[in-house]
Amino acid sequence: MYSEILASEHEKHEKIIGTLSKRFTTYGYKRIKTSAFEQYDLYSNVRTSINQNEMIKVIDYTGEVLVLRPDVTIPLTQQLVQLNGNLPEEMRYYYVQEVFRQTFQENERIGKTQAGVEYYCESSPQADAETIMLACHALRDVGFSDVKIEIGYAGFFTELIADLQLTIDQTAELKTLIQAKNVVEIGPFLNQLPIDPSVKEILEQLPLLYGAPQVVFDRLQNLKVSESAQRAIDYLQQTYKIVELYGLKKHIVIDLGLINHMGYYSGIIFQGYVESFGKPVLMGGRYDSLSEEFGVKLPAIGFACEIDSLVKAAAKKELKERYSIDVTVFFKESRMKYAIDIANELRERDYRVVSKPLKGQASAKDSQYTIQLLEQQNLLIDEEEAKEFRDFKQLLDSITSKKGVPEWTI
Amino acid sequence: MDYLTVAMAKGRTAERAMKFLEKSDVRFSEWTDDSRKLVIYDDKKTIKLIFVKAVDVPVYVEKGAADVGIVGKDVMMEDPRDVYELLDLGIGKCKLAVAGFPNTPVENIPFLTVASKYPLVAKEYFDKKGIRTEMIKLNGSIELAPLIGMSDVIVDIVETGTTLKENGLVVLEEIADVSARLIVNKASYATKTEDIQQFIQDMKEGLEVRS
Repeated sequence: MYSEILASEHEKHEKIIGTLSKRFTTYGYKRIKTSAFEQYDLYSNVRTSINQNEMIKVIDYTGEVLVLRPDVTIPLTQQLVQLNGNLPEEMRYYYVQEVFRQTFQENERIGKTQAGVEYYCESSPQADAETIMLACHALRDVGFSDVKIEIGYAGFFTELIADLQLTIDQTAELKTLIQAKNVVEIGPFLNQLPIDPSVKEILEQLPLLYGAPQVVFDRLQNLKVSESAQRAIDYLQQTYKIVELYGLKKHIVIDLGLINHMGYYSGIIFQGYVESFGKPVLMGGRYDSLSEEFGVKLPAIGFACEIDSLVKAAAKKELKERYSIDVTVFFKESRMKYAIDIANELRERDYRVVSKPLKGQASAKDSQYTIQLLEQQNLLIDEEEAKEFRDFKQLLDSITSKKGVPEWTI
Repeated sequence: MDYLTVAMAKGRTAERAMKFLEKSDVRFSEWTDDSRKLVIYDDKKTIKLIFVKAVDVPVYVEKGAADVGIVGKDVMMEDPRDVYELLDLGIGKCKLAVAGFPNTPVENIPFLTVASKYPLVAKEYFDKKGIRTEMIKLNGSIELAPLIGMSDVIVDIVETGTTLKENGLVVLEEIADVSARLIVNKASYATKTEDIQQFIQDMKEGLEVRS
């Protein structure tokens, strides 16, 4: 039934948000909110990949143009800049909010819920590794086993081509070729440009600088790179070493052909993939230069994921949770008061409870436990057995001894 | 275990791709020339081949319905997708070209009517040359368009040129070389790196034996 599907989708949505929020909190992040309306000028003044056509514009009574929140990072950074100026001490914030972008495809929603974190701190391999760890940890919490985080370095490509004096068209074409890892056509394309053979070699190798970290770092050793490119590689290597300490080795893929997809990223950039879903479910990176556009230094790293994508990706998996209700209480008319007491007590303890008068059939298949309050007898029934109980304490003992705390709060 | 899902169009290219894989001991005994099956597995059950329309291959791969696809460069040019393009299989070679009656002017003119299965590629090509165009999108028998005066020229793939010749047309300009490419879904490349690299290696070995 449609309404059932809708409800279960929504439940999954909420559940994923709950899981993510909880994980963000355990890393010391505090939840923040930003305004639904932002100044249009804020976005036209900042380098960003958000297309102006995609923003939903609104005009207020003075004639000023506002936009419906197209992202969270930019206004949050602006707010913090106004409040604090330069970075006074590190700050950790997370958000779960709708962002609005005009879509040009039917059936696609304009408002999409994003969950993300922003970690304002000095750039360091430790901070970056911890953020990558959090990204991975959060995706595993949602229930994905095959999580892969692709890590690249935003400035790497820009550094390489900095001295080449390419036209805008040429840069765009080279970018497209590298993003497609088009080994076939990069060579011929570079051949028609007057460039240094050593730079050409690296650019040609860029699509191959992909895969298990050690393999990529070994390959890099045989390449001659500029000083600044080498600094990027060193930073990446130091970060990876710490990521390895977190025990994430098998979840990491290095991709030096990963090109900055948001205008403001400056250092480490990464995206998260999960099994059998064709798009990245999580994107992030370091954006030290964003605050500089507001005239101060407020370095930061962060990431965001779209909840809808996670719901879709998780739909292909067996749902962890089999029951949508923990306990259903069926009661004879005369036991109503006791039924209400039990239901209330259980709800106080975070169980999801439904209570109904006992008429005819007394079973509920979406509920893990059924309680029957008969005239002379109280029964607790689960998949395996029916058990009598005398009072609430005994009931609670039998439930907790089986499954401890309510399934959905784990 | 998870299969590696490979999308391609039925036909010569698919058969040759399967031949390449045979050299690396990846066999599809299930497959016969007149088979109508849309999904087949290799004997070791590690690869799942799905047969789709050529123009749909990049769609299947971008959406992640297939991990890998084999498709002509012409399709990728007309409908660029966010996928990796990792290997040139060197099969299905042909050219994308402008064709028409001999001596039809295609330089230094202000305007052309063009019939093509590749309207985007054609428009971009003439835009770069500074020629305004009226595009007529056709799905087959493109050569007919200049014959009946519907267009000045056509943009189409030319393999041997026989069809053009028999209809009194010639290649006026070449736009690009076309051959079959191996494309890969970006997420699959991250989550199944080893399987995909092995598949590419198998393909490459087939290619080398051939040359």
